[in-house]
Amino acid sequence: MKASRFILFLSLVVWSWIVPVLQAAGPELSGGFDAANKLYAEGKFAEAVRAYDQSLQAAASSGTASAALFFNAGNAEFKLGQLGRAIASYRRAALLNPRDSEIQGNLDFVRNQVQGASVRPARWQNWISILTLNEGTLLTAAAFWLWLGLWTARQLRPALAPRLRALSLAALLAAVLCGGILAVQATAHFNPPTAVVIAANSLARSGPFDDAQTVFAPHDGAELSVIDYHDDWVQVTDGSGKIGWLPRKLVALLPGA
Amino acid sequence: MKLNMPGLRTRGQHWRTPWWALAASLLLWARVVSATTFTTSLDRDAIDLGEKATLDLTFEGGGPQGTPALPNIPGLSLSYVGPSSQFSFVNGQTSSTITHHFSITPLRPGVYTIPALSVEIDGTVYNSQPLKLKVAQPSAPSQADMNSGSEVAFAKVVMPTVDHLYVGQSTSAELQIWLRDDVQNFGNLQMTGLPADGFNVGKLTERARHRTQAGNRVYTIIPIAIPLTAIKSGTLTLGPLTAQMVIVLPARSGQGGDPFFRQFFNTGEQKQITLTTDTNSIEALRLPANAPAGFTGAIGRFKMTVTEGPTNVSAGDPITLRVRLEGEGALDAVSLPDFSNWNGFKSYPATSKTEYSDQQAQAGVKTFEQIVTPQNSDVRELPAFSFSYFDPELRAYQTLNQPALPISVRSAGAAPVPSIAAAKPAASENTAAQSDILPLKQGLGALVPTRAPLLLQPGFLALQCVPVLAFLSAVIWRRRVETLANNPRLRRQRAVAQLVQTGLVDLRKLAADNNSEKFFATLFRLLQEQLGERLDCPATAITESVVDDRLSTLKLPASLLAGLRDLFQLCNQARYAPVRDPQELAAVAAKFEACLRELQLVKV
Repeated sequence: MKASRFILFLSLVVWSWIVPVLQAAGPELSGGFDAANKLYAEGKFAEAVRAYDQSLQAAASSGTASAALFFNAGNAEFKLGQLGRAIASYRRAALLNPRDSEIQGNLDFVRNQVQGASVRPARWQNWISILTLNEGTLLTAAAFWLWLGLWTARQLRPALAPRLRALSLAALLAAVLCGGILAVQATAHFNPPTAVVIAANSLARSGPFDDAQTVFAPHDGAELSVIDYHDDWVQVTDGSGKIGWLPRKLVALLPGA
Repeated sequence: MKLNMPGLRTRGQHWRTPWWALAASLLLWARVVSATTFTTSLDRDAIDLGEKATLDLTFEGGGPQGTPALPNIPGLSLSYVGPSSQFSFVNGQTSSTITHHFSITPLRPGVYTIPALSVEIDGTVYNSQPLKLKVAQPSAPSQADMNSGSEVAFAKVVMPTVDHLYVGQSTSAELQIWLRDDVQNFGNLQMTGLPADGFNVGKLTERARHRTQAGNRVYTIIPIAIPLTAIKSGTLTLGPLTAQMVIVLPARSGQGGDPFFRQFFNTGEQKQITLTTDTNSIEALRLPANAPAGFTGAIGRFKMTVTEGPTNVSAGDPITLRVRLEGEGALDAVSLPDFSNWNGFKSYPATSKTEYSDQQAQAGVKTFEQIVTPQNSDVRELPAFSFSYFDPELRAYQTLNQPALPISVRSAGAAPVPSIAAAKPAASENTAAQSDILPLKQGLGALVPTRAPLLLQPGFLALQCVPVLAFLSAVIWRRRVETLANNPRLRRQRAVAQLVQTGLVDLRKLAADNNSEKFFATLFRLLQEQLGERLDCPATAITESVVDDRLSTLKLPASLLAGLRDLFQLCNQARYAPVRDPQELAAVAAKFEACLRELQLVKV
């Protein structure tokens, strides 16, 4: 009886992490979202972007975020010709909902419009990013629990050991594989992020000063790897060996490659 | 009678002292403890701009560790040449000298003071005297001297024959070195000064030599092209240029010998000379303000040829656009217009190759290769573009226009269909590429909490300890079970301990109930079980005699033996006189408990 109560308690705790607390949007947020969509449909893209931003801020103040909001904001920004801002919005949407094909489709489409050198994720990075960091964490934890549970069962019931051997080996392999994927995901998430250039005619300079020599001119929407920070400047590289400093206000910093 | 006295040697006696002792004595005698000295000196104290002087730092009787450091002297460039050392042994006195040589190149005329230098040798600081070096501005020979033929060698600069230059415009001046016909040979020409204010100077190249007459003498002219690019507006100056060279002149007649043979075997007289030119200037103007939109800074005269290929591609396939710009001007500064604003195309950074047709890099061909990829099948042509440059001769901007170039773009994934075998339209087999962004999402969907990742949540991380603890507990439990299974005595010990534990409770209960018969029966059984476990023998084999026979050999405390003996006797007496009051029974139980506690401590 005690054991069953403990298992029930444990299940509830795990469930609270497995299933994100999906909250229904409040009427105010839904209303703002619909109003922004209407502005977009009327071709008032600048107003639509402002409306989406307000909704995003309202959601953020309540500790939530919406992939659909970011996606639609990205569409409006693209229509305004703001490729960098659109890419940043789509990437934020993809972080929340990485398996949404519409988000990925629009992100790829806008990326193809961007000129010049850019740091793009490799194919394996795309494959890994079909899971969010939390999903990867839970998957690894589940495999870890399964493996140790099977080993615990083998200790408690030695007679079951021959039957559980193959299963525990498979669980171990799954735990190692998931752990490896999680390590890569965590490295990409917590390491220096990607800087998406959100302004046209931005100039990367040789030092973090306004009067430093210009090294290269990244295009709007270029995705650059961040190397270092200094005050309000970020040091970036475009993947082709060019390194320069950009004002932080000219880039959107996003986690991952 | 001969007397051999110590210290005196008679004739015929040989010195027995070994040779190495003599050499050592000689060296010791010759060793001179001389004071260390430090001096500085210049090989010349007056030079012309363009010449070099040598500074020597001489240490006698010792030297510093490493190379002495020199202070920075504005207007002079000092570079270390290397050390030289000298060791002398004169009249039994040795001396060693180390000299560090530095080359001094003046950057401008003036009188310079090389300050007193301080060097530390073996903890002692030595100071030198300051030195003065006078650097004079070399003067070029006058035009009259040049034309008269009186100068053996001279140099002059011929500037471009234009009134002015434009900022960014490239041109070339010519340095001419004139050598009179009596110069038999020359060599080791070195440019020692090339001051150019407002010019970017390119690589110097020698042109074909020629001869000309000046006065009544014939000169060989060595022309050297100096590529120049104006980098600022205003008056730009070039010079005075200075160069050094070695020339060979005929030996003077005073050297003797037959003049007839001397003309064949004369090896000549070598002489190092310094050549200096005048300062020349030219005006540079800013480019006119009405530059066309596509102007990227090209100055000169150019012709443009454009080729493209392939022209029949799928969407996303690359098309190479070759732009060939031929003409005169600074080709290095020529760049293509920006293709990134072409709608429907993605462009990559262009590559370029420059082939010069002259040594001064003032004319040639620059070929650009620009890769563009059409993004959809709606693209029908490569858009028109233009290349603008500034023509300094016409003093105006010129624009070369390239009209749109037709191309054929298929949808991505569609294979080119042969025109004869085409059975049905290829478009029906196309996988349509996305031509615009996908529409808005109409539903807001569920809101995802933006809390920290699980990996950073302490509660989640602590939860991961649960399976680990469960596993460790299971392992410990399993080990205990296995240990018990493999140790019967330990198992019995634990069973007896459990039995005694419950037995004591029963005893207290039986004492309270005044059930004397059962009390003593239980007491006897517990005594048997506990002593049997201690002595590792069956419980039924335990009797009162065991206390005397076996327990006495274990060197137990006498009080414990007496207590056990009493308990056995009480059990025996109870069979005959079982009635006792509860207080007595409780006292017996307490006594039994005390004996048990003591007995369990006994190591067997």
